[in-house]
Amino acid sequence: MAKKSVKESAVFKKALWYHDRLLLAGVIIVSLALFLSVFGFMIAPYDPGTPVGPISQAPSSQHWFGTDSSGLDVFSRVITAPRIDVVLSVSAALLSGLFGTLIGLGTGFYEGRFSSLVMRISDVLQAFPIFILAMVLVALTGRNLVNLIFALTFLYTPIFVRLTRTEVLTQKTRTYVEAARATGNSEWRIALKHVLPNSLTPSLIQLSVTVGFGILLTAGLSFIGAGVRPPTPEWGLMIATSAPRLILGEWWSSLFPGIAVSLTVFGFAALGNALERRVGSA
Amino acid sequence: MRPKQKIASVAHLRKVCFLNTEIGKTKVASYVLRRIFIGFLQAAGITLVVFFVIRSLPADPVARLVGFNSTPDVYNQAKASLGLDRTIWVQLGDFVGTDGSGVITGDLGKSWVTGSSVTSGVATTLPITLQLVLLSFVVAIAIAVPIGVATAKRPGGKLDKSVFGYGLFAGAQPEFWWALMFIFFFYFQLGIAPAPLGMLDPLMVAPDKITGFILIDSLLTGRVDAFFNALWHLWLPIMTLAFILSGPIIKMTRQSMARVLSSEFILYSRASGLSRKQIARSTLRASLPPILTLTGILFGFMLGGAVLIEQVFSLNGLGSYSIRAVLNLDYPAIQGTVLIITIISLIVYLILDLVLVFIDPRVKAQ
Repeated sequence: MAKKSVKESAVFKKALWYHDRLLLAGVIIVSLALFLSVFGFMIAPYDPGTPVGPISQAPSSQHWFGTDSSGLDVFSRVITAPRIDVVLSVSAALLSGLFGTLIGLGTGFYEGRFSSLVMRISDVLQAFPIFILAMVLVALTGRNLVNLIFALTFLYTPIFVRLTRTEVLTQKTRTYVEAARATGNSEWRIALKHVLPNSLTPSLIQLSVTVGFGILLTAGLSFIGAGVRPPTPEWGLMIATSAPRLILGEWWSSLFPGIAVSLTVFGFAALGNALERRVGSA
Repeated sequence: MRPKQKIASVAHLRKVCFLNTEIGKTKVASYVLRRIFIGFLQAAGITLVVFFVIRSLPADPVARLVGFNSTPDVYNQAKASLGLDRTIWVQLGDFVGTDGSGVITGDLGKSWVTGSSVTSGVATTLPITLQLVLLSFVVAIAIAVPIGVATAKRPGGKLDKSVFGYGLFAGAQPEFWWALMFIFFFYFQLGIAPAPLGMLDPLMVAPDKITGFILIDSLLTGRVDAFFNALWHLWLPIMTLAFILSGPIIKMTRQSMARVLSSEFILYSRASGLSRKQIARSTLRASLPPILTLTGILFGFMLGGAVLIEQVFSLNGLGSYSIRAVLNLDYPAIQGTVLIITIISLIVYLILDLVLVFIDPRVKAQ
């Protein structure tokens, strides 16, 4: 027991982060992304939606990342974009995590015809070409934020169903479940208070990875014109509108939003990976 | 995790399988039949889901075609000509082919926007996507597997650490942005790649169509110039996809190799005095299954995921076809592309599972 309390102390955690650079990188990037998604529009030097200067200006001390073909400040847009990209992906990940975990718990705890039907449905959903299905869902429900969140949630729920169900199936045969049942707990209570908390780890790790993929999907959808509408500050859209200018030598308006996507997605993947290894070795 | 007895008796199992070749064959045949049957059900399920889902979503394809300000007469006429005035069950029957031509006869219907056959639209665009994705996989595997093997030999080494970072990084990246950056660098700055404008130079006459795969057609018709021109146009998209794909493949190769290297049967082969070559061969063979499974999943993912790369390089493949279909609310074309991509993924999974049976005798023994 003494060992465990040392492990959980703040000093040890500091040392842990120092030794695990991947975890450190993940934590820094993820916190920055979350910070910008709340405060990004406050610290942006210019309004991300109104032209602020001459068009297509190279980066300068006035416009750190230059201006794009409509005269919008690229830096301001890059740091306000998390309000769309990150918030959208985080909410979709949380929602699909919530639904997926509950469905997974239900189908794992009560095996039967209904639960195998649910599993077959999630099999079929997982065999779909994800990107095309996302395009279909967003284009046909109307391109707005709520529908994007709905589409991503729909696409990512089966992953959480599968992860939770697998874990529940092994957990419910453990002795502590039997003990809980012997002491007179109701089945509901056993499922929610005992089995669920012990089956959450894989899903919690998956959350981070899912946020990363959600950002990729959001940016990709906007890139082909099936995501948010211009001139919303969104990374994929920024890349799409600046892509034709690349051939004219205007690299800054597509380079910086791309780096933002690349780093953010890497951050969430790194955090997920580091957590996975930490849990695996513990 | 595995029982020790099993590991020590791989050679024994192989012997058993060899002796029971006949049983093995019928087993494999019935397995294939069962898988084809399940795959058929899955494809049918997906067809139905797509059919009903796109019709239950709040989109109005008729208004998209005739414009929102059209008179009710024009609107109803268009609706009737698309067959949308009939009940959904009649529409489904028409799509499946109860009247003699439909999905079951290979007819995916007519595009609502262009009026041309969806089957022929898919048939002309699919080879372009398949060619791109297949070649990217060949390149990615050729790069990733040797690197993964090298890192597994020295776990914790400098190479291992940097490759680990790359594997994690490249596994989830915005490929369309990398494609743009590569175009900027290799075409605009260095001039060692062509403009991202299709499969051939604008003035080059395309080779006669035989298979639809431009690289094969140009060779069959003796058009060496077109062959090299197509390769010249393909190298950058292929490298972009391979750059993304090799990340997860390296990671999986390393993991799988390391696990096999530390397993007891390799220890046993070492103790038995087998040569390094023999050990290396059986290690690679034993670590192939997870790598192949991952490749299959990635392949299915890439058939739809190549959309963005096709768009960036103006390759008129199935991805670009599906984007047009979705943005124009062209339901027959959406149904067709989703169905075809699903069927191809299912076929790939089946082939991979069969390959696994031949690589890993334990699968057959089960």
